[in-house]
Amino acid sequence: MTVIAIQGLMKKFDEQEVLSGIDLNLQQGEVKVLMGSSGSGKSTLLRCINRLVEPSAGSIQFQGKEILGPNVDVRQLRKQIGFVFQQFALYSHLTVLENVTLALRKLESMSLKQANEKALHELSQFEMTAHQSKYPSQLSGGQKQRVAITRALAMDPAVLLLDEPTSALDPVMSRDVGDLINRLHQNGITMLCVTHDLGLARAISDRVLFLDKGVIRANERIDVLANDHSDPELQAFFGKRE
Amino acid sequence: MSLLDILLELGHGVFYTILVTLVCSMTGLTVGLLLASLHRLSIRSISLLIDFYTYVFRGVPVLVLLFIVYFGLPGIGLKPPPLMAMALSLGLVSGAYLTEVFRGAFDSVDPAEIVAAEAMGMSRIQVLRYIEIPQMLRFAIPGMVNEFTSVLKYSPFAYTVGIPEITKEAMILSATTLRGVEVYFAVGVLYFVIYRVLLVGIQLIQKHYEIPSMKEAAV
Repeated sequence: MTVIAIQGLMKKFDEQEVLSGIDLNLQQGEVKVLMGSSGSGKSTLLRCINRLVEPSAGSIQFQGKEILGPNVDVRQLRKQIGFVFQQFALYSHLTVLENVTLALRKLESMSLKQANEKALHELSQFEMTAHQSKYPSQLSGGQKQRVAITRALAMDPAVLLLDEPTSALDPVMSRDVGDLINRLHQNGITMLCVTHDLGLARAISDRVLFLDKGVIRANERIDVLANDHSDPELQAFFGKRE
Repeated sequence: MSLLDILLELGHGVFYTILVTLVCSMTGLTVGLLLASLHRLSIRSISLLIDFYTYVFRGVPVLVLLFIVYFGLPGIGLKPPPLMAMALSLGLVSGAYLTEVFRGAFDSVDPAEIVAAEAMGMSRIQVLRYIEIPQMLRFAIPGMVNEFTSVLKYSPFAYTVGIPEITKEAMILSATTLRGVEVYFAVGVLYFVIYRVLLVGIQLIQKHYEIPSMKEAAV
């Protein structure tokens, strides 16, 4: 089953075209990795999917339904699309447990008891139960990212969008997040991950989509892309990293 | 008449000074919070009205405003009681200043947290209520303390509308005892004690809501 189907997606900021006709499909249970240099439009593409950014043209279907246009319940849509941010974006005035329960209580109308039970169950999946009373400032980068992922998954989203989940982490923590994403994959979570981190990309997917100047230039295995000396853009991006 | 006797004589006025300070501070807090939150919603027409309010009320002297409310409004058939007149003058001036304090404090909230809450599916009002306001209030504590202190220091204007607060009591006592130096020294002591109590109260509240490592400024 196709969870996300994007066709001819375009986004312009004033006169600058950031996305120039993106076609992309994401199947149920699939993990796709989107790579590309800074400014290539990766984060904009992710933000178009949950309409944090309004696309200029094109089509996005979520679970078979068009989600662009004025008659879409955007808040309802966002509840079904988990989003994990580069800088974690945990609510700094709330504890770990409160970070996870807030949306459950206010958006899903769960009682405090129900929300706490669900949140503690989710936190236990990521070995974060012991940190439930801590504030984000008392956590390491890796722990913050675990909480951010838990917070998104607690809403039982149909898909998880990850925007450079390891860019603020050291290599050890990055591997940790890679392992975590693989565990989620094994549990059948559908994910679209934007990253610069080739190690993470290799760890979670065989193939990557390479975005350059607003278009997807390649959808290929990483080792094939890295050895493609015919394309200077690919060589510039992957060559230096090998 | 000892200093203690004078302080005891002025004790009645302390109650009214605290009452005026509390009523005007709470008016200012409510108005400031409401208007700064509305301003945060970025609705142009509302923002313009709020800007006009803060511009005018920060520019008019409190005493002039108090006279307009207390002595002017009866001319059009409205007769606000003295405490309400204080709330509508000093309270609204305080509200204008606190609107600006809160506006600045809102800007200290990490925009990434706001986007994260919107990405979860929260409405703009929910984001304001559950993410922005709780953090903003913590950032605004030093500015709030300054403003509440100003309200306390402007509270003697209440005597002009007949509220028997400390200064009015002191004027009467000074006139009857002819010991102005001691009486007004005692007034100074009382204001300082009220200020310290106010400060300790706010510090206790701040301590209660303290978040480790959150960028709160010390009072």
